[in-house]
Amino acid sequence: MEFKFTKEQELIQKTAREFAQKRIEPIMFQIDEHNELPDYIPKEIGELGLAGIPHPEEYGGSGADYVSYVLALEQIGRYSSGAATTITGNNLSINAIKMFGTEEQKANWLPELCQGKKCSTFVFTEPATGSDMKMLTCKAKLDGDEWVLNGTKRFATNAERPGPMTVFAVDDQSGYPTAFLFEKHCPGYTISEPWDKIGYRGAHTYDVYLKDVRIPKEDVLGEIGKGFMILQQNIGFGKISISSLALGRAQGALEESIKYAKERVQKGRPIAKFPTLQSRLADMAAKVEACRWLLYRLGYMASNAKTNEDRIQLAQQSALTKMFVTPTSLDVIRDAVQIHGSYGLMKGYQVELFYRDAVVAEIIEGVLDVQKILVGSSLVG
Amino acid sequence: MNIIACVKQVFDLQQVRIKKETREPIMENIPLTIGDIDKNALEEGVRLIEQHGGKVTVVSAGSEDLEETIKEGLAMGADEAVLVIDSSLDSAESAVSAVVLAKTVKKIGEFDLILLGEGSSDNYSGQVGPRMAEILDLPLVSFVKSLKVDGHRIQAVRSLDDCMEVVEVDMPAIVMVMSEINEARIPAVTQILKAGRKPKQVLSLDEIEVDPAEMETKVETLSNLAPEQDRKQVIFKEDADTAAADLFNALQSEGFIGR
Repeated sequence: MEFKFTKEQELIQKTAREFAQKRIEPIMFQIDEHNELPDYIPKEIGELGLAGIPHPEEYGGSGADYVSYVLALEQIGRYSSGAATTITGNNLSINAIKMFGTEEQKANWLPELCQGKKCSTFVFTEPATGSDMKMLTCKAKLDGDEWVLNGTKRFATNAERPGPMTVFAVDDQSGYPTAFLFEKHCPGYTISEPWDKIGYRGAHTYDVYLKDVRIPKEDVLGEIGKGFMILQQNIGFGKISISSLALGRAQGALEESIKYAKERVQKGRPIAKFPTLQSRLADMAAKVEACRWLLYRLGYMASNAKTNEDRIQLAQQSALTKMFVTPTSLDVIRDAVQIHGSYGLMKGYQVELFYRDAVVAEIIEGVLDVQKILVGSSLVG
Repeated sequence: MNIIACVKQVFDLQQVRIKKETREPIMENIPLTIGDIDKNALEEGVRLIEQHGGKVTVVSAGSEDLEETIKEGLAMGADEAVLVIDSSLDSAESAVSAVVLAKTVKKIGEFDLILLGEGSSDNYSGQVGPRMAEILDLPLVSFVKSLKVDGHRIQAVRSLDDCMEVVEVDMPAIVMVMSEINEARIPAVTQILKAGRKPKQVLSLDEIEVDPAEMETKVETLSNLAPEQDRKQVIFKEDADTAAADLFNALQSEGFIGR
């Protein structure tokens, strides 16, 4: 076993780091304050090939692997999770289309998604339905050669931007959830005002109203009635994204704490000299490293997940990773806020922003308790 | 137009830490990269090719890690690489580097322009360009902050201490660029992955016909330490107005303001 990256993986990490430092860091507070991501950020992310890192060149992707994806997201998450959602949001749909789409669907959607020219939305949540797919109320009725979709979807990311939507609805043929894939902003598609979230600002979250949305019969993703399987096999990839950003944020909190501790003078010397503070920093560093290697391993697993069984195994390990990384990242950031004292509570300090983003990360792509159920149930069989 | 960009493999200086007790740099596990100003030289070459057509060959000499390190230059847009690899080149001084690079360029044969950074990121001696010009008997333009090509002639703006000088010279020539000439591009992921598939020629010292006498080190490095940063630790304890005036006077007497 060798803990060593390829030169290509190192260079992809460096590209992401340079991009994040040059283009995102200078505006990270602006993105947060105005809850707005400048259009040039998704465009440049696309041009640098960061939007389609682990996807094949034949579909317009960059042709790298999931270890590179984790390394890149860690760097971007170090500064702005909102900006990174350009990548992570698309990645969910790209994976689903890659695994379950027809050749026509792949050709139609993947190149523009992989190159960041369009933003996709992947949504199953409804006002009364969280992680329980069996509670879906959104309906799809077959009418001749068209499906007619009705219902409300909640917390749909990037629903305002042009691009495809993968939406889950119970169809009237099988009586089970089916995934549908179609262009947003079609007749019958409307969205709410964006939710005003605590963190992940710059990535807009909406309710989506589908009222007699008519889409061609062939716009089903995968098989009719097999939506649950698509969600189950794809969701693991989404948790890799959320956890990678959480890792970057924790690393950022550690770096900011070390910097602050060296500058902040109390009782005539920098607080970095105090053993209690060094002890706290040591705990933080150990937690960051634990998260890091759990995630790099998960990236390796994702790169090699070829069969349905592999992907189910990946989903379990993704749940385990998210269950550990997102709260651990929040722990590290809470320590960072403690080190910063009252300054850590103030806007304009990175750790304040990280804290709010870290709270979001524990919730999205499945709350912690659900992750624990997934992991626990897989352990007892 | 055939452009050769000479680059040096160096430690990633951003990641080097200093041992506080001895002021020595800690070099263990520091990744290797291409020097910052060398990237500006390569970037300028790629931009000229994008405007005028042709190819950029990235040339470098170093230890065997160079085969991996050079992928960064290929990802930035170089069309091919010619490398001289030998363990003795790991810490080669400027005179040796100039001989090896000049002989490599001779081996390549046809070229119009050789681009280098003004100095390497580690030693910054700034000697390799002038020495190569002497060996190859080529005109040298240094301290270049902007560059234009018109047919077989180049026009360069040189940034000197108290003036800008505009010079013209016929190609082939050697140009040493300053960091402000451009902002080196961030390589795209797709280019990074293609870098390993671009043509790469690896040569030995024998193949470029370097005489062992030319490899003799003439400079001995006695020490390599971080500069001492002794703080004066002056504290102004008077009321704010007096303290501000005292601070101003102290800074002025040290020559930091009011010069």
